[in-house]
Amino acid sequence: MVDLAGTRPDGAGQPQAFEIGGVFGSLARAQYGAMFTLRWEMFRSGLRSIHGILDLGATGIAWMIYAFLGLLLGAGLGIASYYLVSEAQWRYLPILFWVLCFLWQMIPVMLASYQEQFDLGILLRFPVHFESYYLLYLVFGLLDVSTVLGAVSCLGIWIGVAVANPGLLLWTTLALAVFAAFNVLLVRAIFAWIERWLRQRKTREILGAVFMVALLSLQLMNPAIYQKRHAGRSHSQQQAEQFEAAKERYKPYLKQANAVQKWLPPGLAAQSLREAVEQQPAAGLGLLGVLCLYGVLVGGVLAIRLKSEFRGESLSVAPGRSKSVAGSSKTSAGLSLSGGESLERGGARMLAGSGPIAAVIEKDVRALMRTLPLLYAIGAPLLLVLVFSSVFLKNGPVQTPVFPLALPICMVYAQLGFTQIFFNNLGAEGAGIQLYFLSPTPIRTVLLAKNLLHATLFAVVAIVAAVLAALRLGIPDGAVIAATGAWLVFSLPCNLAAGNIFSLKMPYRVNPGRISRQRGSQANALLSLLVQLGVLAAGASVFALCWFLERMWLAVPIFLLLAVGAVYVWRRVLDNSDAIAYERRDALMATLMKES
Amino acid sequence: MENAAIQTHGLTRRFGALTAVEDVTLSVAPGQFFGFLGPNGAGKSTTIKMLTGLLEPSAGTVEILGRPFGATALDLKRQIGVVPEGMALLGRLTATEYLHFVGRMYGLDRQTTNQRTQELLEFMQLADENKKLVTDFSHGMQKKLALAAAVIHGPKVLFLDEPFEGVDAIAAGMLKTMLTGMINRGATIFLTTHVLEIVERLCSHVAIISHGRLVANGSLEELRAGVASTLPGAEQEQRLTLEEIFLAIVGAGGQQEQAQELTWLT
Repeated sequence: MVDLAGTRPDGAGQPQAFEIGGVFGSLARAQYGAMFTLRWEMFRSGLRSIHGILDLGATGIAWMIYAFLGLLLGAGLGIASYYLVSEAQWRYLPILFWVLCFLWQMIPVMLASYQEQFDLGILLRFPVHFESYYLLYLVFGLLDVSTVLGAVSCLGIWIGVAVANPGLLLWTTLALAVFAAFNVLLVRAIFAWIERWLRQRKTREILGAVFMVALLSLQLMNPAIYQKRHAGRSHSQQQAEQFEAAKERYKPYLKQANAVQKWLPPGLAAQSLREAVEQQPAAGLGLLGVLCLYGVLVGGVLAIRLKSEFRGESLSVAPGRSKSVAGSSKTSAGLSLSGGESLERGGARMLAGSGPIAAVIEKDVRALMRTLPLLYAIGAPLLLVLVFSSVFLKNGPVQTPVFPLALPICMVYAQLGFTQIFFNNLGAEGAGIQLYFLSPTPIRTVLLAKNLLHATLFAVVAIVAAVLAALRLGIPDGAVIAATGAWLVFSLPCNLAAGNIFSLKMPYRVNPGRISRQRGSQANALLSLLVQLGVLAAGASVFALCWFLERMWLAVPIFLLLAVGAVYVWRRVLDNSDAIAYERRDALMATLMKES
Repeated sequence: MENAAIQTHGLTRRFGALTAVEDVTLSVAPGQFFGFLGPNGAGKSTTIKMLTGLLEPSAGTVEILGRPFGATALDLKRQIGVVPEGMALLGRLTATEYLHFVGRMYGLDRQTTNQRTQELLEFMQLADENKKLVTDFSHGMQKKLALAAAVIHGPKVLFLDEPFEGVDAIAAGMLKTMLTGMINRGATIFLTTHVLEIVERLCSHVAIISHGRLVANGSLEELRAGVASTLPGAEQEQRLTLEEIFLAIVGAGGQQEQAQELTWLT
């Protein structure tokens, strides 16, 4: 019998097995245990399907690659720190900490589509302390690639400093621990806030536009900056003089920048080591105290964001504006037959055609402009072209032309950036995937429209990248340009054909509002990379052969011949796409409609 | 039934060892407002998915408007409209953009799509929400938009999976009027819902599915008479509500007693 107060005389009506306690009370500890069990069970459940096992295998391979990169990075930083400490070059030590800090924050962006994280929003319905929520948010974040790579890098610095000066062992441990904690908090705070902003359409679009403009500006600025350098490369003496002059000119600014960086976290961590060596432990501790304050500040910024989530702000719904009641639409039962002028105002025409192909292209363009991860995927290749063209520019010996095959290599990187778009072309559809199965439009038409759009986007990016590469490196030989164009004609249908198969057989949901915490399919990522590498290897073989024979023009007919085969395969895949889609429709819908 | 709008024979769907829908044979006449009821997990949504091409039956056949219907029967798909369980919305578009897209996917020309989009948005009271993305809509608004998308091409057969879930009373009243209007103009509607009052008011025929099997099928009066005949003499005289018919057919026996035993509930 239950009394009106809701309690029973024997007290059995209340969950008394746990004391509420604090962040480490018995209830909280039980909740942590439940969360870890849940993750473990989810992991085990994922292994029930072949796709899950493939994903695990791909994750293992990806982690091996990350581990290798981490070891390289850690070893590099370790050797550098050993050299700087043993040679007492303390003024350069902050550079290592700045590099580490930058990489720690940038790696999550670069690896966004490969990371899989757990949404802690499910905790909000339970009696969880905010502190516990915060703690779990940080703990699960420790599984990030960036944190692991950052930790390995810290270990490298720790070993380097400790070997060079064993007396600094404890001090280095302390400084690196505080610095690592600061970085963990900073990266989480940055992404928590960015994701919050991305939830609002306006800020999402503004960020997208800023991102694209910044990327293009960067590209256009570079040719202007390097123009002089390019023209004057034949005079090494002149270059050295110019460098010295620039050094003198910028010295006051560098001094000012150095004075400022000393009080920023990487500078503080490096400076504290220097103070310890110079027998100034109090000063060193003071600097570490300031670093701790930075950590507290960043942790507070993160807490503000998480507090809002904890209070029930849904990450899947941006705060809506109050609905205008005035001038509300009619409430009568019948549908009026008024004209469409206001509609034309609301939704501007984009394409003149009205068929399904035009409809899919128009819809995808609109969605693309509102999906930062995909914009990033399109824009990133330009950044890569910038980086790689710099490599050729710097490594090219003076008074010799740049590497003649720089253009095709830049194109390869431009194409690699489209991997996610080519190989998961249904990923952003979400529940809308049902519409393709309900409507009378064949899946073939949908994929054809997407392929046309993606090919056009790639063509634009390839042309921009080629122009920028030409501006920076000079115009390559006509045969190289023709061979590169022919290779693209071959590789594009190869990627589109394989991409259509992967999109139907191994899709994953792209959350449009997130640039991190995507639930990506590791198997898709790895296998698509292998396909890309296969296409690249075929291209590289032809280029190498023609280069060796000194008949670069020969690559054009070879690639065009291969392209005929590639186009045939692409058409065959398109023709079979309805059969594949309908055979896989259960899994396709279940995957793409899954909340991420 | 000759010239049925919807006809199934032995429709079955298995998921591994589980049989979600077993041997469902039913017929819906043109112009009928057909209610398809059942408890949670009975197989309603699975049946509707098979009827609309979203799920392949393990066995059995489906005919729509007298012709065999499969996932690739594209010409027949032009004749049907669906509000599926997942609503099939595209979150990154506005309501106008989404209806535009759907209209064109169903082969409507741009002018017709524009006109119908505007009319439907006004009717659904979504015209003022044109700057919002669908992902930012409330659940009820998304339902209204999904319904607008299901009817934009003027389907002859309409499948609705829980269309009134989360829709406010005013909008629900409007939708009921709209659906009744469609029936009066000859459309056929296949509706699943847990709101029995709506079924009682709108539907002329009802089928009930339980544990994947069809346990009742007929007009409301036929079901009422069937259930009443099993009752004691005095109760036979009472006019049974659909809820009473439903509970009598699917069997809610013992659940009230079980609820009493959960004494720790406050």
